[in-house]
Amino acid sequence: MQKTARLPRQSVAMKQSRRRENIAGYLFMAPSLLFFLGFVIFPMVMCLVYSFTDYTMTSFSFAGFDNYKRMFQDAIFGKALWNTIILVLISVPVTCFFSLWAASIISKLHDRTTSFFRCVFYLPVVTGSVAVTVVWKWIFNRYYGVLNYLCMNLGLISRNMNWLGDASTALGCIITILLTTSVGQPIVLYVSALNNVDQSLVEAASVDGATNLQTFWRIKWPQIMPTTLYILVITTINSFQCFALIQLLTSGGPNHATETIMYYIYYNAFKLQSYGYGSSMGIILALIIAAFSALQFKVAKTDNG
Amino acid sequence: MKKLLALLLCMMLMIPAFAVAEDVEITLWTYPIGSWGNEETVNGIIANFNAVHPEIKVKVQYLDYASGDDQVTTAIEAKTTPDIVMEGPERLVANWGAAGKMLDISDLWADTKDDIIAASPAVEAACKNGEGIYYEYPLCMTTHCMVINYNDFEAAGALQYIDEATHTWTTDNFLKALDALNEAGFQPTAVVYCGGQGGDQGTRALVTNLYSGQFTNADHTGYTMNTEANIKALTLLQTLVNEGKLDADPGIVAGDEIALFCNSTISIGFCWNASAAVSNKASLADDVKVFPMAFPSDDGVPELQGGIWGFGLFDNGDEAKAAAAKTFVKFVCDDPSQAAASVYASGFFPTRASLGDVYAGTEKAENGDYAIFMPFLGDYYQVTPNWAAQRTEWWNLLQRVFAGGDVAAEVAVYEANANK
Repeated sequence: MQKTARLPRQSVAMKQSRRRENIAGYLFMAPSLLFFLGFVIFPMVMCLVYSFTDYTMTSFSFAGFDNYKRMFQDAIFGKALWNTIILVLISVPVTCFFSLWAASIISKLHDRTTSFFRCVFYLPVVTGSVAVTVVWKWIFNRYYGVLNYLCMNLGLISRNMNWLGDASTALGCIITILLTTSVGQPIVLYVSALNNVDQSLVEAASVDGATNLQTFWRIKWPQIMPTTLYILVITTINSFQCFALIQLLTSGGPNHATETIMYYIYYNAFKLQSYGYGSSMGIILALIIAAFSALQFKVAKTDNG
Repeated sequence: MKKLLALLLCMMLMIPAFAVAEDVEITLWTYPIGSWGNEETVNGIIANFNAVHPEIKVKVQYLDYASGDDQVTTAIEAKTTPDIVMEGPERLVANWGAAGKMLDISDLWADTKDDIIAASPAVEAACKNGEGIYYEYPLCMTTHCMVINYNDFEAAGALQYIDEATHTWTTDNFLKALDALNEAGFQPTAVVYCGGQGGDQGTRALVTNLYSGQFTNADHTGYTMNTEANIKALTLLQTLVNEGKLDADPGIVAGDEIALFCNSTISIGFCWNASAAVSNKASLADDVKVFPMAFPSDDGVPELQGGIWGFGLFDNGDEAKAAAAKTFVKFVCDDPSQAAASVYASGFFPTRASLGDVYAGTEKAENGDYAIFMPFLGDYYQVTPNWAAQRTEWWNLLQRVFAGGDVAAEVAVYEANANK
């Protein structure tokens, strides 16, 4: 009898305890949740609402799909979209492959050497965009830049190149800078992921006569796939949102050769004060990023088997 | 007794209310107009003001030209604009004023209008909108000019092509000077920068002066680049670039070009003024001797681009703050003990004839030399609608022209976009 009477009492106590834990959990989450709602969800919703309005510094009226129609008739938006896609299609795979290659070498080194290289590659990430840009601007300088100096001395060019001022080279320069600032985090993540690969499986494969490539492809690659997926998504988002480099180096020029969607959004929203039109481009950019990310999730999931 | 006590208590309660009503805090946002971007200088001006008006506290935020406009735009939308902002008519009148964000400050002009018109009628015209409402109370002005390295010109035998007394030259002589510099090996001679809007007043003045073209119509309602004179000027520049007598660079803006002039890479700079002369003094290479010049024109009479800087008040709906802001602006611009020092801090020239030469006998005495250009002050067209969009169209036009575009067709595209 005593036992049966105690059970419901225990159950109530457990429920109360669980509820208290839940409340405590929500309370711990509350600051982040409020921040997320206030600074992420709310602006996103407002952006969606504004995208259907003719919102400028002097007017605010419902415009339906006018901004979206205008966007697809805007040749500069088309150019910006094309440039952004090129930037993503080049920078994302190169960043991933280079990071994996660098990490696979670094991870085999002595601990201190590994830490040193991790710091070296991570340095551009923690250095401010402005400082990085100033250095690159000097490297690419047409008149006294170090790149022209090197290329001239190596006999690669016969006269100074205007790297950032030439439509055929400007986007390549931006992609190069973007790569240097993008590889730091993926390298650190890959080093960590490679170090966490189950060594017993690697040794077993080796005993069974697997080659290095087979070991990598059959043993390591599946185990680092979650890291790869994360890196792909983050690098894609960062590449789509490339802005500071453009603003500080080329303002989208020459002749819109480096115009990206992010810069064009900024230009419309802040320079021309066309907030509605800028918002509609923001929505389209978000949809494109979401589509790319979903595709990456699908591909990575398939690869993972 | 009780009534007396109650009265005393009421009076005691009202004392803090009076005290609060008298103390006002206002905010000033200032762009880097000479030393008005320098905290020590501005704090000195505010200290002078507080010696007379201790009841008004002034908080300052320093803007730069790279992100200042974005900060103001954000503040307008967030309704957190400052009480006072220091800039020029293209922002105060044509942009924020036209958008209805600024206060009508016509009352500030009541007793100084004649003095300002005596200094330059163009200043008075630029500070108000088409309906005669004043959105700017001017402090200082200048004419933007260009600059040559006197030593290079001397070595190339090109001094014969400039009028050293008036600092002017004709288009023909400008071309001869370029030839002389090129023949003497001073390459690159100059760079037409077009990587952004920074310092675009220089490239605009260069183009419009070569064959005396006009940038806008007289009533500042539209852009008029698509004329024979302007197309001829752009075609000339395109030819000079193609022939290697001049460089064009879509990768740099005026700040970079000034650096190239200061470090002696180029012999001619298209973006210069009195304040630039002071701020770049320390960075001049040993072989650079600064000699300011007006822009070359076919008739030898240039029309220089003006810069007019002053104060505008944002309409924040607080009368007490607006009154305090007006008191501050009036003190800075007109108080006999402060006005000259306020202009001196800018490095430019007073917009009041009564102030005379504020640089005579000071360490900035050389700034006075730039007053020679003031008679060439041209039309202040920066108040034309769609100014912000036009600026982007302008450097994009230059980029297309120097990339080999058909000048007439590109100018037509520019004009259509600028007048949208």
